[in-house]
Amino acid sequence: MAEPIMQLEHLTRRFKTRKGVIKAADDVSLTLNRGDILCLVGESGSGKTTVARMAGGLLKPSEGRVIFEGKDLAEMNKEEFAEYRKAVQIIHQDPYASLNPVHTIGDTLRAPLLYHKIASNKRDATRRAGELLELVDLRPVENFIDKYPHQLSGGQRQRVSIARAMALNPRVIIADESVSMVDVSIRVSLLNTMLKLRNELGVTFLFITHDLAVVKYFAWEGRIGVMYVGKLIEYGRTPKLIGRPMHPYTRALAAAIPEADPDLTRSKSKLQLRSLDIPNLNELPDGCVFHPRCPYWVKGECDTIVPPLVDVGDGREVACHVVVRNIEEGGDGLRLTVTDEPALSGVAD
Amino acid sequence: MAGTETRPTDTTRGTAQSTAPTILEVENLWVEYKTPNGWMQAVRGADLTIRKGEAVALIGESGSGKSTLGFALLRMLVRSARISKGSIRYTTGKGETLDLLSLSDKQFRSIRWKEIAMTFQAAQNSLNPVMKVKDTFMETARAHGMRNGGEVRDRTLDLFRKVQLDPERVYNAYPHELSGGMRQRVSIALSLLLQPELIILDEPTTALDILTQRAIIDVIRNLREELDFTMIFISHDLSLAAELADRVATMYAGEVVEYGPVRDVFYRPKHPYSVGLMNAVPPIAGEEFTPLTAIPGSTPNLLNVPSGCPFHPRCPFATEICVTERPLLEEVAPAHLAACHHHDRVDKDPTRWEGIEDVVEATG
Repeated sequence: MAEPIMQLEHLTRRFKTRKGVIKAADDVSLTLNRGDILCLVGESGSGKTTVARMAGGLLKPSEGRVIFEGKDLAEMNKEEFAEYRKAVQIIHQDPYASLNPVHTIGDTLRAPLLYHKIASNKRDATRRAGELLELVDLRPVENFIDKYPHQLSGGQRQRVSIARAMALNPRVIIADESVSMVDVSIRVSLLNTMLKLRNELGVTFLFITHDLAVVKYFAWEGRIGVMYVGKLIEYGRTPKLIGRPMHPYTRALAAAIPEADPDLTRSKSKLQLRSLDIPNLNELPDGCVFHPRCPYWVKGECDTIVPPLVDVGDGREVACHVVVRNIEEGGDGLRLTVTDEPALSGVAD
Repeated sequence: MAGTETRPTDTTRGTAQSTAPTILEVENLWVEYKTPNGWMQAVRGADLTIRKGEAVALIGESGSGKSTLGFALLRMLVRSARISKGSIRYTTGKGETLDLLSLSDKQFRSIRWKEIAMTFQAAQNSLNPVMKVKDTFMETARAHGMRNGGEVRDRTLDLFRKVQLDPERVYNAYPHELSGGMRQRVSIALSLLLQPELIILDEPTTALDILTQRAIIDVIRNLREELDFTMIFISHDLSLAAELADRVATMYAGEVVEYGPVRDVFYRPKHPYSVGLMNAVPPIAGEEFTPLTAIPGSTPNLLNVPSGCPFHPRCPFATEICVTERPLLEEVAPAHLAACHHHDRVDKDPTRWEGIEDVVEATG
């Protein structure tokens, strides 16, 4: 039975900028079940990292709550918060910046073990550090434990970051673009290592990426939330969401991605957007934030009423007036009528 | 790019039947960087022949030498690098064949930008931040002898329209006022300013959002149809090659290890490394799950490249000969070159890659 380990409830985060207050995340609700993989997908400025930082306790929500194992993060006492900090670990994007260059890999791994008294002494910590390196497939351990970060490749460093995150036996790992800086041949084995942690140790993953291909592989048994300028606009199980995206933005993304297959990629049908402009967070459009780019928009509706995230069955939720109406009228939510041909050309993104 | 009129597309482009003349011929090129631990060979005997009008993708991972090769073509290597061996022959728009490595710096200046131009990786950083876009274009034009300001302006605005930019707005903007995708298109326009025959694009879509990437891909495709230049693009992204290339060259450890028409390389690869790359790139379309296979091990340390075939420690097809003898790049199918002793045994079966010990070597 699915048991929630972390609930994000109506998370909103505002930032003050010189040009006014922006909402980097706007009313995002998501549930992570124990052992689940949940991917947040979106382009830059979509708010996916902001949500991840709130989930990881690095950023206080302006509104809404983060519930971890039944407790509201904002109401935790010191001990509870310390326990949460151990249980929820974050792996950052840049394996070059996230390891201390003057510490050996062994030092880096021993420090949290000793600090949190998971190891009783240095020898014990070294033994445990070796196990962690084995866990992330850095073998033989002797080749790595006394090395400095600069002596390792990007992929190897990212493995060390994963090992460090695993030092405290976390129940949740939040991985923010953790494979986007490594080469393709290495990427798959890093994803496999993380999948092993989930399958064998039951670690729950909140995985943030802009790369739908990575998501499809990593979260095949999990779920995807698609974000666009701060809002969650579509949510569902991975195979269906990737194979049959419903929200016009998700469709546009899926159609735009080039494939590593010449015939397939050159014959892929593209979705023509009305505009390449990503709206500025300072002056978001009224109604649906996607309507100025959407070829299916309905005047008088999409430009005035914010579409709520609606459950359309089969675990899928979509925030789109047009898709939801199509399904209510017995359609499949996939065949929509283009209401507006691309109006703009020669305009910048 | 001799003129701006549309030419009929050469239907044999990128095929074995192509009869287009050679524009660039790189032969046995070696480039090394000085490091505290000795000379590091980044390009190790690369060969590459490019026909006029074609789009060639140079594909490889970090450390494969693809960018170094690109910079060597324009003789824009950093000070700590040197070309130690090899030749680069280039045939100009007027049909004159030049040995690019023996030209004086002064002679080379007449080639750079006018004949061969380049857009750089991270275009957001390659435009001068304190200059308006128009001044960058004016200065580039003036430096290469185009003195008629009105003409430069007209040409710039025309190029902006071709790359789908709002001409007046961008012309008067500073780089920081533009998005990453817009700056990338400004760089592409800048590379085309002097009507070069050959342009080199270094990672043109890297670090851009998906919809922006798509816009750049479409812009490049349209430009080629309209202007008919020869193009080399350097990328780690196989799907970009699948989208835009007529031919694909795979690089590994400083060598071109496979080179052929795009469909041949993707559907009938002859080098195990190309196969490994393809097995590692997930397809997105479709509702089926595709298991992916990693290439075991890691890319070689260029200060200590494995003997024989540099790929042999990671290769499921390797035998004794691969450890001792370096395979040469040779034609193994029509217009399809590969440097592999076992090219006739290479197939895409991912199960072959199981069970090779995943030796993750520390590099230092």
